[in-house]
Amino acid sequence: MTVTTPTPTAVDWANSFAEANNQDPEIQAHGKYFTCSYLLDMVEHTFVVQVSRGTVVDIAVDPGPLEVSYQFAIRASAETWRGFGVPVPAPMYHGIWAASFQRDMKLEGDVLVLMQNLRCMTRQIELLRAVGVPV
Amino acid sequence: MSKISPVTGHYVEVDVDGLLYKVFYLENGTGQPLVCQHTAGCHNHQWRGLLEDEEITRNYRVIAYDLPRHGKSDPPENTEWWKEEYQLSADHYANFIVALCDALELEDPIFMGSSFGGNIALQLALRNPDRFAGVIPVEGADYSPGFYLDWWQHPHANAAQVCGSGVWDLMAPQSPDADRWKTWFYYTQGSEAFKGDLYFYSVDHDMREHLGEIDGDNCPVVMLTGDYDYLTTPEDSARTAAQIKNAEFIEMKEIGHFPMSENHAVFRTYLIQALQMLRSKSGVDA
Repeated sequence: MTVTTPTPTAVDWANSFAEANNQDPEIQAHGKYFTCSYLLDMVEHTFVVQVSRGTVVDIAVDPGPLEVSYQFAIRASAETWRGFGVPVPAPMYHGIWAASFQRDMKLEGDVLVLMQNLRCMTRQIELLRAVGVPV
Repeated sequence: MSKISPVTGHYVEVDVDGLLYKVFYLENGTGQPLVCQHTAGCHNHQWRGLLEDEEITRNYRVIAYDLPRHGKSDPPENTEWWKEEYQLSADHYANFIVALCDALELEDPIFMGSSFGGNIALQLALRNPDRFAGVIPVEGADYSPGFYLDWWQHPHANAAQVCGSGVWDLMAPQSPDADRWKTWFYYTQGSEAFKGDLYFYSVDHDMREHLGEIDGDNCPVVMLTGDYDYLTTPEDSARTAAQIKNAEFIEMKEIGHFPMSENHAVFRTYLIQALQMLRSKSGVDA
């Protein structure tokens, strides 16, 4: 029998990701001004994550063209995101800087907003190690 | 039993290139001097594990200094430095380290540095092979473009957090949380020097045409690089070492760009190998 880790559906994943963020001690301790919206482009699925004062208040799953606006985008292949979604990522899948410098990740849009929220964004992306990815 | 650490701190005056510095350093141990340079935008607490490593300090006098403008080493005493943009040059960086070793009257020191400290170690091997018994470039390479970025000092973002979290991915997920967070904390303290340091790291340092000129017999080179380093990868360091006469390269597993600070317990196993290689190359163990 082959045992595989089931890939969560996109909606289930969005709920789990929001819950993980909203219960995370580090983000809740330091996220008083963590407010932004961004696109997670995983090719097979896209999400627009809306964060307000440290709380994920909405995640749009596979939004249509022009439906939801966002400030910056984090784009990578499904393969790269799968590298992020394991408890201990292999080298170069262990963060958005690493994957941008050495893999196919792209940081686009108003990158200043990303930099303004970098501490909490770094932690939020690391939640993928526990939540997994839906691709 | 005393809770006072054997590590002591001192200041020494260094006069170099017309600039007068009051330099702070920590030291512990006896034997051959092992002079340690922290990474860009940081300070000498990155070497806290090595400074209290009983096995290594039994045979080496570990000296970890703060480069001027970092930690407890102030900017120059005799210039209006606040009227100029700080951009560290390879010339001044190398001249400073030699002047520091002279001021401390060190004989046959080994120089070790990480990241921009690894790159200057290569410069020292090229420029001053007679002054050093050997160098250990950690996370170093012939060329390391791409990190001289405005984000480190952008007035519309929190520079302390951008520096701390901007280098977070340079560490391995396997390294202990407490040590990674100490390293993050150090980086929140150095944003005004970080970008100027990276002028050397990513702009002024380019040894691609000069590796063959390093006298690796006179000044042996042993390079160490971690597999989670996305800036200077093991491939970059291996390529560099392959072009230096008599040089060695060791890839470190499950560790990143700040090995001495993020996980000294893992780093020390590789450092001990490197020190043994230097002893062997210099004929001490022959």
